[in-house]
Amino acid sequence: MTAAGVYAALAAAGHVTPGCSNKEIVWRSGKLTLYRYQPIARPAGRAPLLIVYALVNRPYMMDLQEDRSLIRGLLAEGLDVYLIDWGYPDGSDRFTTLADYIDDYIMGCVDQILNAHRLQALNLLGVCQGGVLSLCFSALHPQRVRNLITMVTPVDFRTPADLLSKWVNKIDVAAWVGDGNVPGDALNGLFLSLMPFRLTHQKYVELFAGKPDRERLENFMRVEQWIFDSPDQAGAAFREFVVSCYQENRLAQNRLEIGGRTVDLRTLKLPILNLIGRRDHLVPPDSSAALQRLAGSDDYTAIEFDLGHIGMYISARAQREVPAAIAQWLKTR
Amino acid sequence: MDNEFGEQWTAFAHAARAYLDGAAKASASGPGPAEPARIFGDVLRELFANINPPWNSGPWNFGSTAGPGLGSSAAVMPDSPALGATREHQQRSQRMADAWRRLDEAQRRLQRLWSDALREAAATFAANIGASQISAPSADAVRALYDQWIDCAEDAYSRAAHSEIFCTTLAEHVNASSEWRRELRATIEQAAKLLDLPTRSEINTLAQRLKSVEAELRAARTERAATPTTRKPTTRKRGTPKAGKPKTSAIKQRSARRKVQR
Repeated sequence: MTAAGVYAALAAAGHVTPGCSNKEIVWRSGKLTLYRYQPIARPAGRAPLLIVYALVNRPYMMDLQEDRSLIRGLLAEGLDVYLIDWGYPDGSDRFTTLADYIDDYIMGCVDQILNAHRLQALNLLGVCQGGVLSLCFSALHPQRVRNLITMVTPVDFRTPADLLSKWVNKIDVAAWVGDGNVPGDALNGLFLSLMPFRLTHQKYVELFAGKPDRERLENFMRVEQWIFDSPDQAGAAFREFVVSCYQENRLAQNRLEIGGRTVDLRTLKLPILNLIGRRDHLVPPDSSAALQRLAGSDDYTAIEFDLGHIGMYISARAQREVPAAIAQWLKTR
Repeated sequence: MDNEFGEQWTAFAHAARAYLDGAAKASASGPGPAEPARIFGDVLRELFANINPPWNSGPWNFGSTAGPGLGSSAAVMPDSPALGATREHQQRSQRMADAWRRLDEAQRRLQRLWSDALREAAATFAANIGASQISAPSADAVRALYDQWIDCAEDAYSRAAHSEIFCTTLAEHVNASSEWRRELRATIEQAAKLLDLPTRSEINTLAQRLKSVEAELRAARTERAATPTTRKPTTRKRGTPKAGKPKTSAIKQRSARRKVQR
């Protein structure tokens, strides 16, 4: 196939639909939707697992396609999986705070699940920024979380490799955000700027140089769609997150305040599994690994994978190893 | 001080001197300074006819960045004194212009850092590539060279991006753009107010009020749900009226008594 042929095939694959596992809506609140995935294996008998995804990207990355779906892997392990889809914030969400996300939205989802299952506590899986929200929720509402799993989650925002932290350090974030939301396009530009040669050039050269089969091109387009399908960020929550975490590193200092209450990681006594990407350029491994010394849990497990940030969701190795590691860890707790 | 303002001041000074001279001569020789005053008045009228009145300039007039009485170049002269009824608008324009200048400077500095990183990458790349790679331009060799160049470029860029000067310049760029945007928004809001259009600030205020009402409602619901029912269980003897009934009965009884009295 010529380059023109690859180009035409890519154009044809431009409207691939991400998401492959069957799911049902169990609750809505504002723009939030709580999904429950239909089982595909015999139930393992564990407490339900709620996935809290980041606010900065869409959660369908967790279920991109059959052979690249962390959720499918978890379902295959017999886990009962729920997922929070935050939706696309608009201007009416500009004053939504971290407290709203944690105490209202996550709490609402947790209560829905606990009521439906008649349980006191569930298992929480926080991904990236969603891991920070999950840490906060677990610290503030410990009775509702049985086990906590964090995946590519920043905890210490002042590690030497953290380029985002260095960049935002002297920025007047309040002025930049103003009273509005933060456009998703601005975040796209920011993330591309972290590795501009690879992300804006080399990956496309690889695309055209590789095998021109349809499946590969569609896979590429699904990931491409996910990368740039960036919701705008509710201004108030974004400002809080960047100032408190990136600029002031309050989470790691047990000084982060959510709705007037302090998040103290030392109060986290529950079992914690921390999944770290060794080649993560967005969340440096050291930033995630800091959870070990900061959390008060005696039952802490960290697993490092030789993967990058996105590879943790969609690489073949992640499909083989991550769901199995989670299921195995939960099995003993 | 801008030229237009200076010219106007000079014209005013000439006219004033001419008036004073003429008035003094007229007073010494006859009935009074009426004629010089009329001439001076005509001069002033013509002079101020060219000045934008306050309602004809300001932030809603996007074609002009002038403050009143200061001419259209006031905004691009950062040292122009802010005088007159629309001095706030003039200062806003000056702040905007200053922010734009800082933004432009920061962008140039970032561009220079980018160029330096590329120069470093090129030097490293040239030092790294072997003669065999150059002399055998197969597709694989070309690809290998490309990947090597990307590695060199990312490494050099990463070093630059982590540097203090890059972080400071980037912050200056973002902060200047924030300031420029804030002043622009204030200008647009001023125009919207004059046209009685809703402004973002007003909508934000309403949104915040709505949010606090929602929060209070939620808190009240939670409190109500959490509060146990305080009503004591009542035991009712057979034949006695149900709880809540006596009040109705009493009304009926009163009504019946009135009928009897009538």
